[in-house]
Amino acid sequence: MLVRSRGVSEALVEPLALMRDSQAEGFAELYERTFPRVYAYVASLLRDRAAAEDVTAQAFERAYRKRRSYRAGRGTMEAWLFGIARNAALDELRRRKRRAGLEGDREDTGAMGPDDHAELALRRQTVRAALASLDGRERDLIALKFAGALSNGEIGRILGMSESAVGTRLHRTITKLREACHE
Amino acid sequence: MSEYDPSTATIERELAAVEDALAGGVATSDEASARELQELALALRAEAPEPDPEFARELRTRAKAGFPPATGSLAATGASLRERLRPAKLRRALPAMGVIGGILVPIVLVASLAGSPDTDDADSGAGGGGAAVRADDGGGSVAPEAAERAPSGGSAAVTVSPGPPPQRFAPGQSNRKIERSIGLELEAPVDEMQRVADQVTSVTNRHGGFVLNSSLSTGDEGAGGDFELRIPSNRLRPALRDLSSLATVRSQSQSGRDVTRAHVTTRDRLQAARAERQSLLRRLENADTDEQAEAIRTRLDLVSAEINGLRAQLRDLRLRTDYAVVTVTLLAAEDGDDGGAGGAGSFDDALGDAGDLLAGTAGILIRVLAVALPLALIAGLGWLIGAALRRRRRESALA
Repeated sequence: MLVRSRGVSEALVEPLALMRDSQAEGFAELYERTFPRVYAYVASLLRDRAAAEDVTAQAFERAYRKRRSYRAGRGTMEAWLFGIARNAALDELRRRKRRAGLEGDREDTGAMGPDDHAELALRRQTVRAALASLDGRERDLIALKFAGALSNGEIGRILGMSESAVGTRLHRTITKLREACHE
Repeated sequence: MSEYDPSTATIERELAAVEDALAGGVATSDEASARELQELALALRAEAPEPDPEFARELRTRAKAGFPPATGSLAATGASLRERLRPAKLRRALPAMGVIGGILVPIVLVASLAGSPDTDDADSGAGGGGAAVRADDGGGSVAPEAAERAPSGGSAAVTVSPGPPPQRFAPGQSNRKIERSIGLELEAPVDEMQRVADQVTSVTNRHGGFVLNSSLSTGDEGAGGDFELRIPSNRLRPALRDLSSLATVRSQSQSGRDVTRAHVTTRDRLQAARAERQSLLRRLENADTDEQAEAIRTRLDLVSAEINGLRAQLRDLRLRTDYAVVTVTLLAAEDGDDGGAGGAGSFDDALGDAGDLLAGTAGILIRVLAVALPLALIAGLGWLIGAALRRRRRESALA
């Protein structure tokens, strides 16, 4: 039961509560909460299911081994985990770059289901075509935002940018995607 | 380049709309542009690949087990080892190792360099004649016999050395006459100088000697004193021991001159003169004429004068050999020196020593920092550049 002293402001109480939550949270909880999003992000970046599975497993294992090196003052645990996943994915991309660049890579992450409607299929195809028009950094940003479901602040931590800069870049990239969908 | 150039307010509004759509799962904006972005955001969210259930189940199992390596799998063991000994880990540790090495190496260097002069000083101090030597009663007293071992007339300072068996050159032989001169420099604080001077006189009197002349100055400028003592030769050893215990012995010199030959010659001449005088007296008694008696008296006067002169010479020689000449020079101790006769040092001395120690330590620290800081800066700079290069190389995959 939480007993709050009189006169203690919310600004003081909230960080304590967060700290208590983060301490109680184990790695298993982090895994359950983030696994689908980490996989989605890595797969969006690599566009290869097999490679995405390897890199996702590698990222979680690496995070598990380094879990004691996490410092709450340097960002949320999710941002820390996605940073590890991003490094692993970029390393994989560099290894694969000789065989095929990011732009011309084989795409097999979005196999269509048999129950897809024609309109939905067309829309998905349009979006994928628009995504293909983005460069690597833009696609990385889109993947962090929509596949990883991270906040702009967390993305800023990972990319080494301010939150407002992330917002500006994100808006510019979505706008570019919208225009690409119209073409 | 897009012609669409929204204002900051528009950007913020449309981003907020996108966030609302992602949070609610539906596009709700009334504004056409924002609504279009909302729908696109939802489509992008829907495009997120989903993991294969089999893979998800397998990874969950491994995660719950703490990612154990597959049993019996050589590849898994190798991968685990590689993971533990990743070059990246070593690279990350390099700056820290560099900093530690950069600090340790200068410390060792400075310590070894700082140690050498001390050793040299100690060696030279032990062999030099100018080192301050504090005599103690337990065998640190100066053996007068050492004076005979020194070159005749030499005035080199000798160190007080305990223990060597006394050499039998002259003192044990009654037929040898040695003229001894001792120079003793004592060091004492200015405020104790008067007490030491009094004790010099006291020690001299106690051993049957006397102070021939003395001078003492205790002013702030040029404090010091000089004492010329005569001490019986047979009491010289204990007297010197007592004098040395009054204050710190800065230096000591001894010289000895063998005057046995002069003593024997004078004594023989005196005996001969006396014999001649006896003979003259007998001849005077038997003189037959006044002329003979007058000639004998004249000769007697000469012989008597010679006897008196020889007696005076012999008395002077005896005085010089029976009493050693001891010259005591009293010097003012410099600040920070241990000037007490037997104390462990005052509070001021302790403060001074502590200050010297701190200054020495600070000196070593400054030398270490002078070497370590640039190395640490270089290591830190190298680490920063390395990290930036690694990041840039990694992100080149996105280019």
